[in-house]
Amino acid sequence: MKSKFILAIIIIMLLMTACGKKHDNTVKIAQQYGLAYAPIQIMKEKGFLEEALPNNKIEWVKLSNTAAIREAVLADNLDVGFMGIPPFLIALDNGMKWKMMTGLSSCPIGLVTYDPNIKSLKDFAPTDKIALPQPGSIQHILLAMACEKELDKADALDNQLVSMKHPDGFSALFAKQDIKAHFTSPPYLFEELADEDNHMVVSGEEAMGTEFTFIAGACTEDFYKNNQEEYNAIKEAVKKTIEYMENNKEETLDILSDLYQMDKEKVESYINYEGMEYYTDIKGVDEFIDFMVRNNYLEKSYKSEEVIWQ
Amino acid sequence: MAMRKKYLHRIMWLGLILIIWEAVYYSNMYARQIFPSIEQIIKSLASSITKGDLLMQVGFSFIIILKGLIIGIILAVLFSFLDYFFKKFSSFLDTIIGILHPLPGIALLPLVIIWFGVGEKAILFIIIHSVLWPMTINMKTGFRSVDKEYIEVSKNLGMNIWQIFYYVLIPLSLMHIVSGLKIGWSRSWRALISSEMVFGAIGPFGGLGWFIFEKRVYMDTAGMYAGLLVIIIIGMIMEDLIFGRMEKACTKIYS
Repeated sequence: MKSKFILAIIIIMLLMTACGKKHDNTVKIAQQYGLAYAPIQIMKEKGFLEEALPNNKIEWVKLSNTAAIREAVLADNLDVGFMGIPPFLIALDNGMKWKMMTGLSSCPIGLVTYDPNIKSLKDFAPTDKIALPQPGSIQHILLAMACEKELDKADALDNQLVSMKHPDGFSALFAKQDIKAHFTSPPYLFEELADEDNHMVVSGEEAMGTEFTFIAGACTEDFYKNNQEEYNAIKEAVKKTIEYMENNKEETLDILSDLYQMDKEKVESYINYEGMEYYTDIKGVDEFIDFMVRNNYLEKSYKSEEVIWQ
Repeated sequence: MAMRKKYLHRIMWLGLILIIWEAVYYSNMYARQIFPSIEQIIKSLASSITKGDLLMQVGFSFIIILKGLIIGIILAVLFSFLDYFFKKFSSFLDTIIGILHPLPGIALLPLVIIWFGVGEKAILFIIIHSVLWPMTINMKTGFRSVDKEYIEVSKNLGMNIWQIFYYVLIPLSLMHIVSGLKIGWSRSWRALISSEMVFGAIGPFGGLGWFIFEKRVYMDTAGMYAGLLVIIIIGMIMEDLIFGRMEKACTKIYS
């Protein structure tokens, strides 16, 4: 009996040491799918970061959603995570010690429906279901903002939300069964609007009132303080990539159409779509914070120096 | 007496796990967001029960699983009956089981959304798919293991296939049926929770899978552990109170 106890304790101890934190010179960056992340993909293809950090090992991790990225950063398996501002703020509010380091892109997003009778949020019946990625996502927060503006109640439609990944929401909207509308981002937004049955009820910018950064990169305090060289290199590499994309349009299109297995013309029309922009500024943070505090998505309010590394 | 000893052991092991858990928490080896204390987990559980929808979510999960299980049992009984008495159907069923049994319900999800939409029907479909095949296989095996002599005797007594099925096959393969039920129960839980975590809430407040998913997106780690705790507690209760008793009743019938 006693030996079993000891054995159990030893095994548990071993398991713990196995996943303990380690500091080495590997820089781990998450890759996500979607045109909003294009600079990251181009950066990887062109090897800009590898060039800037010849003594480091750069590891590209593929993760499919924001929650997984946050968890990976928390577990020290990821140095820099790219995501929307609201999910970043939720993690910060829950005690995660991190700040944003760079913006990446802003892009058109919006609520699409096939029902011609739905012209504004007021026209949604209580039984109409709306698909979006997940509660707390930038899509959810923008919808709540629009609800606050139009219906005076941020959570007016919260009971009608169905959490679905973009591709699932996309097919559910086209199935026209029980999903009435889909809050989504490119390329799904473009594909949906390309169908003449569909129209946009409200856009992200209308909901927000101003321009905002769709995807930003964030890193932990630990990384910022102990890896200044890598931190600066990543910031520089993002900047360099965006400049490269502007100056080498043809090659950019080649890389992206290869990556997404799409026609070059299609990719071109997508990245030239109005509102699709790549830049390193971080815009709209204060608006997000104000709204999220006012509606209890965040417990505390934050000043911009508390959320962005200076 | 044996029962008491079993619980004593269980409590002892649980105590040990709790002590190690708290020791790890206070060692500060992991961030608070990864490894919450037991107190935080219990607090989060309590507030989910009193302020949130947790009880409704548990109830909702139970109802949909019960629906899936009942439909699954009826179909499994029907299939096994046809399988036992009709050779042609038997080879058909074997083929179908060969094709469908290895398919995880979650893999069917994207297709199910297109066919059935996103409502309760979709999840129910996944649950039935997950429970039907293992239960059918168990029931079939149960029937097959019944001694052929009993069947011959029943036939000589002039019983028809329905009577043989009801009075001979089912009672003699009860053990297999109960273990099939047990597998079905755990499969349906897994199906429900994983589909909800992958594709979201069905119904106004969702079930336990949605509970965990929601805690995850709002980064409430203690809440995620609380969700797991609820699943563990329900599993233990079902194992001890329902299936344990069923198995005991079965052994009593045989002895």
